Amino acid sequence: MSASSSQALEYLELLPRNTHTKLYEQPSTVLAIFRCMLPHLAKSIVMAMLYMTGPFAAADMDAWFRPEGRDAKAKALSVLGQLHIILEKQDSARQISFELYKGFANSLRQALTGSGSSRSFGVPSNKPDPNKVDVAFLDEYARKKWENMLFYMVGSTVGLATSSAVAQDVGEGTKQLLRAGNFVKTTHGRVSITREGFAFVLQETNAQVWSLLIVYLKYAPELGMSETDVLSFLFMLGSLELGQDYTTSTLSATQLQMLEDLSAFGIVYRQSKSSPTFYPTRLAVTLTSDSGALQSDATLSALSPTVASGSTRGNKGFIIVETNYRLYAYTSSLLQISILSLFTKLTTRFPNLVSGKLTKESITRAVRLGISSHQIISYLTTYAHAQMQKNSPFIPPTVMDQIRLWEFEGERVETTAGYLIKDFASEKEYEELWDYANSTGVLVWKNDAKRVAFVDRIEMISMFLQKRNKRNEEKG
Amino acid sequence: MNAIDGTDRHIKTENAPPPSLLAIVLDTNPHAWAEISSTTALSLTSTISALLVFINAHLASGNANEVVVIASHTHKAAWLYPTPKGTAPSHHNSNGDIEMNGTQPTAPSVRDNPNKYRPFAVVEAAITENLERLFASTSPTHLSSTPTTQIGGALSLALSHIAKATLLSSPHEDTTTNPLSSLADSEGTHTALPPLASRILILSVSGDLANQYIPVMNSIFAAQRKKIPIDILKLAGDAVLLQQASDATGGVYMKPERPEGILQYLMMAFLPDATARRSLYVPIAEGVDFRAACFCHRKVVDVGFVCSICLSIFCSPDLQDNLCLTCGSYLSLRSAQTPAPALIPRKKKKKKRLGGADSTTPGSTPAGGATPMHS
Repeated sequence: MSASSSQALEYLELLPRNTHTKLYEQPSTVLAIFRCMLPHLAKSIVMAMLYMTGPFAAADMDAWFRPEGRDAKAKALSVLGQLHIILEKQDSARQISFELYKGFANSLRQALTGSGSSRSFGVPSNKPDPNKVDVAFLDEYARKKWENMLFYMVGSTVGLATSSAVAQDVGEGTKQLLRAGNFVKTTHGRVSITREGFAFVLQETNAQVWSLLIVYLKYAPELGMSETDVLSFLFMLGSLELGQDYTTSTLSATQLQMLEDLSAFGIVYRQSKSSPTFYPTRLAVTLTSDSGALQSDATLSALSPTVASGSTRGNKGFIIVETNYRLYAYTSSLLQISILSLFTKLTTRFPNLVSGKLTKESITRAVRLGISSHQIISYLTTYAHAQMQKNSPFIPPTVMDQIRLWEFEGERVETTAGYLIKDFASEKEYEELWDYANSTGVLVWKNDAKRVAFVDRIEMISMFLQKRNKRNEEKG
Repeated sequence: MNAIDGTDRHIKTENAPPPSLLAIVLDTNPHAWAEISSTTALSLTSTISALLVFINAHLASGNANEVVVIASHTHKAAWLYPTPKGTAPSHHNSNGDIEMNGTQPTAPSVRDNPNKYRPFAVVEAAITENLERLFASTSPTHLSSTPTTQIGGALSLALSHIAKATLLSSPHEDTTTNPLSSLADSEGTHTALPPLASRILILSVSGDLANQYIPVMNSIFAAQRKKIPIDILKLAGDAVLLQQASDATGGVYMKPERPEGILQYLMMAFLPDATARRSLYVPIAEGVDFRAACFCHRKVVDVGFVCSICLSIFCSPDLQDNLCLTCGSYLSLRSAQTPAPALIPRKKKKKKRLGGADSTTPGSTPAGGATPMHS
């Protein structure tokens, strides 16, 4: 599981059980969720149980895990429980056992064996397309669309004159969506980027696609589309083959509508609105495979340097940061330069290189704009030059620390939204709870003397409490 | 506030498990399979379908996971996936490179099924096709010539592929183009990117493999050095050698009592990769038989004679011209034979098993001579 899919996971976890059940009817969805949403150990657990004849007794599962893997196991099980993949049961003898939900297990088996007749992995067009487009074209198309959108967000804030020309290419629907997601706001007819927008721009492409799609998903019910339909279509897109044309004849009305919206983002390509086929672009096929995207892009850039040059996608590292805060970026892309100029004092520009310095002034200016030090560092890390990637960590620690210190000079208090749990009946109850919260990683703070604990996620804790109450009632 | 020093926190961000490469050696020895099909409910066909599901599960477990399948047949070891370049007949479109150059039109047989995830379909098609070709190319003379299987060759193929894949996936090519940069880098700070975690799975059905003792043992040592675990799923027969392989490399060893349930065994014991194995208990070989096979007749020996120069093992002391068969140095083993067993000093490693013999004369061992001791 990577950073980019974790936000999709967060979204998925909050869906109700009915939605999950409906989602799991499609093998492609189940496979995609399995492949990129689940923690590593959860995959092992699911696979071990997939062809098991009976339920998996909790005692047996405990015996399977080493003591040092207990935390990871608790985490994996809680994610599986949240996603309604695994069911915890208690039989008459009070033995706890686990079982996979039927729908999920069936679909996963179908996905692995390729059986069933769901046709959920996309129906390729059987007629040869007279104007077939190749992968390079699709890459270029997706890159242009996506960069335009980012430039629309960043450009006007930085004040580049060309921004108005670029913004023409961005569709009205996309602009609306960006506003709905609170990525940009319009004041006096002028577009300016928000804090969320910065977080968005500084992410790697894959994470950006997911963030935008999640906004789209939340927005979907207003357009009269069902969330389930939208989600399963997205997961299907993720399992398609790049450079292959797929027929639109098997798609539902919602999905056809989506196709139009997605082609505005550059996620799919269609010759025209009425064309009977569509091509997924690299943005689509890497939805469910981020590390794969990185690799294929590496080979791609080796094959055709023209496509990769100045490309924002594909995480080709181009930034070098020295311990003396000097920064060199091998790029000619206007978008990258304008992003860099948000927090760097750029001094020189060469045909393929810009150089500058990270100064206190430039960083505090960025912080005032709403960019956090964390975002800056993660951006620098994501796009670190190949030469930098030999170091561990990629960015010199002094620079990272200094960026943080500069930020903290301005803000001395850090806030975390969450829930305070207090008024425990007994010491034991308190200990059990914080221990559980700690093992699932939601515990932020606790005070033993006052017996209070603070957590940033409540769902798992409340489930835990409910379960415990039930157990206590049964005992009492 | 105290989180300002984020250096350690930052190293942790790269904690996604490394991609894992699984090399599967499938023992296709027809003699052994004929016997298994006649005694149990398991057949080669059902094993292969279970194996395909297992491969799909492995590919699904990580986005960058790779798989290699090698058949260890009676007369040769053959690639099943990926199909090596040049061997595929031209009328077939599906060569092993399908995934690499996605622009190429691929075989229609692969593309048809909208119920199947593409990468799965590609692997499956390649494996079935190559297996068919392998069986078609097997002649009766091949079968009658030997009752055993080329596990040594298959292991070497797997190891060389892993070595190549590891090189390709290692972070940067600069070190090869500029040898000086690698020198400058040698000071420790290296590869922040996760390297490729490889492992080998041998699905073995043949019994006696002692005739390939030397090549297999060499492969085992190579794997041990490269920290590549060799997992063994022994469906039939019993081979001392493979137990040693999994034991020496820290791999899984399993000899299921009910081989029909092969899929469940595969999914539970063999699917977890190196990362997951850190938190799971995996079955390992118990009571490993450490006996070696002699270099002269390829027999497993309880008591052997060892060349003091090259450590070759011989089953009898009667060497031609008193020369070691492997390294050619002078080796007179006759003297080793003469003393009565009770007087034999213990010093050779090779005879761990015979712990019972009483050897109470520690001082009397002549340490110098080029004489392998009979214990």
